[in-house]
Amino acid sequence: MRLHGAHPNPSNLLLPLPSESVTAGFPSPADNYVEDNIDLNEELIHRPASTFFLRVKGDSMSNAGILDGDLLIVDRSLDAKPGNIVVAILDGAFTLKKLTYRKNIPYLEAANHNYPIIDLRRYGAVQIWGVAIYSIHTLPRRK
Amino acid sequence: MSIALIDSNNFYASCEESMDPSIRNHPLIVLSNNDGCVIARNAEAKALGIAMGQPYFKVRRKLKDLGVKIRSSNYALYADMSRRLMSLIEANCEELEIYSIDEAFVKINRPHDYDLNPWAYRLRTTIYQSLSLPIAIGIGTTKSQSKLANHLAKTTASHAGIFDFEASDDQDHWLKQVAIENVWGIGRKLAYWCRMHGINNARQLRDTPSNELRQKFGVTGIRLQHELRGEKCLNLLIKSIPKKETCVSRSFSRPVSNIEELRQAIANHAVRASEKLRKQHQHATAVTVFTRTSLYTSPFYSQSATQRLSLPSNNTRVILSTTLSLTEKIFCSNCLLIKAGVIMQGLVNEDYLQLSLFSLTNPKEISRHKSLMKSIDYLNTRYGKDTIQWAVCGINQQEWEMCRRNLSPSATTLFKEIPIVKA
Repeated sequence: MRLHGAHPNPSNLLLPLPSESVTAGFPSPADNYVEDNIDLNEELIHRPASTFFLRVKGDSMSNAGILDGDLLIVDRSLDAKPGNIVVAILDGAFTLKKLTYRKNIPYLEAANHNYPIIDLRRYGAVQIWGVAIYSIHTLPRRK
Repeated sequence: MSIALIDSNNFYASCEESMDPSIRNHPLIVLSNNDGCVIARNAEAKALGIAMGQPYFKVRRKLKDLGVKIRSSNYALYADMSRRLMSLIEANCEELEIYSIDEAFVKINRPHDYDLNPWAYRLRTTIYQSLSLPIAIGIGTTKSQSKLANHLAKTTASHAGIFDFEASDDQDHWLKQVAIENVWGIGRKLAYWCRMHGINNARQLRDTPSNELRQKFGVTGIRLQHELRGEKCLNLLIKSIPKKETCVSRSFSRPVSNIEELRQAIANHAVRASEKLRKQHQHATAVTVFTRTSLYTSPFYSQSATQRLSLPSNNTRVILSTTLSLTEKIFCSNCLLIKAGVIMQGLVNEDYLQLSLFSLTNPKEISRHKSLMKSIDYLNTRYGKDTIQWAVCGINQQEWEMCRRNLSPSATTLFKEIPIVKA
């Protein structure tokens, strides 16, 4: 049985490097130095079963380097700690903010001064859905 | 070694809630294919008294008035959540048998203090945190006991989703709590027979004289009785058996009576089926297509046709041309067809095949086709279903395609459809 992780077909992301193969003639001296492929999934995603992708909309986290349109990687198995950037469920929507504590009171803070700090005591129960671990940002390219 | 049965409560509804926060804390139901019947309900919907299996058109108004959220079944999402669920379970047990999309039997060693509750509690918490799926865990000496314990874990509020039957010092009491209809392996007919003979619960079944049971149930009845006593008869089926057949079929949104539409539907199924085979690294040696009218119309019409392939294949082009020529044979011009499908048969493994294949045909040709299929599959995975489509599948599929008006996004399997997070 094969279990798949966060990506339905992880091998699609392999960046191919030459692999050892039997060829006629003298073996290539470089063969001994060929390592495994570089796999972005392996590097970024340690717990595929609990890792999810979300798309960022809005600029409230721009000073934390998370911009509108970024691809966010979230690991739900991590316990949210103060200082973590988390995905919380607020008013029936996924919301991205930094989790902070002041005098033991939890807050969700934006990384942009135009947005207010959210006092979690105003809400009955707030679920922290997951902890953001990477944000992938597309850089401008000239076509 | 103990056996646990782990399953997810209201699995389809829980998957929908897991990836869509806007429907949480609302009553929610999931409909079967073609938005036919209610096949899953969350706790809030159950509390409203919405029954399983009700036809949607009959309850549509009532559901609307009650503010119930509706979802069409999204099997891409459920399959992915199931894989995640199973991989988390597998990491926390000795052996795993996937029993269905949302349940698994596992083997687990008892710790020195004999108490498996902390293990079960931890697993339940991990899965809830990682996937938002509530699970129930039943533990026993045998598969049948674990199934029964799982039932008790769910139905007895004080168990809170976990019940260790094996460690219970009052097994007789608990066996008595399980009605005969709820015992694993007892179908409706057998349950009726049991009731007629005064066997009303699992305890009475366990204590029925064996010869009486053997006469009615045969050896399976005896096995069940042994299992209830805690003597292992059924082993975990660990190795997945490679599939010998794969079927793609759908009901139409409305009856189809011309061959063009039938061809289009069959072509789409054939494309899907070929993709499936390539994913499983298998080739078909024969292909069957079938179609039928509704069971309730007269005259009832049902027809199928099969063709062996000259060489085993999972090449869409080959499968398409075969299925399309078969379509002519099954079409009936005066019938209102409501369902059609494609079955790939005699599946053989790719590795096993290669040698014989290459010896028969031009290897260059084969590898060219293979890489074409690979490219198409890649593009369709990367940019979404049907990015590359076969012309014969038609451009306007709405005509016959299954209606799934309330389908949620493929939130975990397609980049295009991943959920939005507000920043």
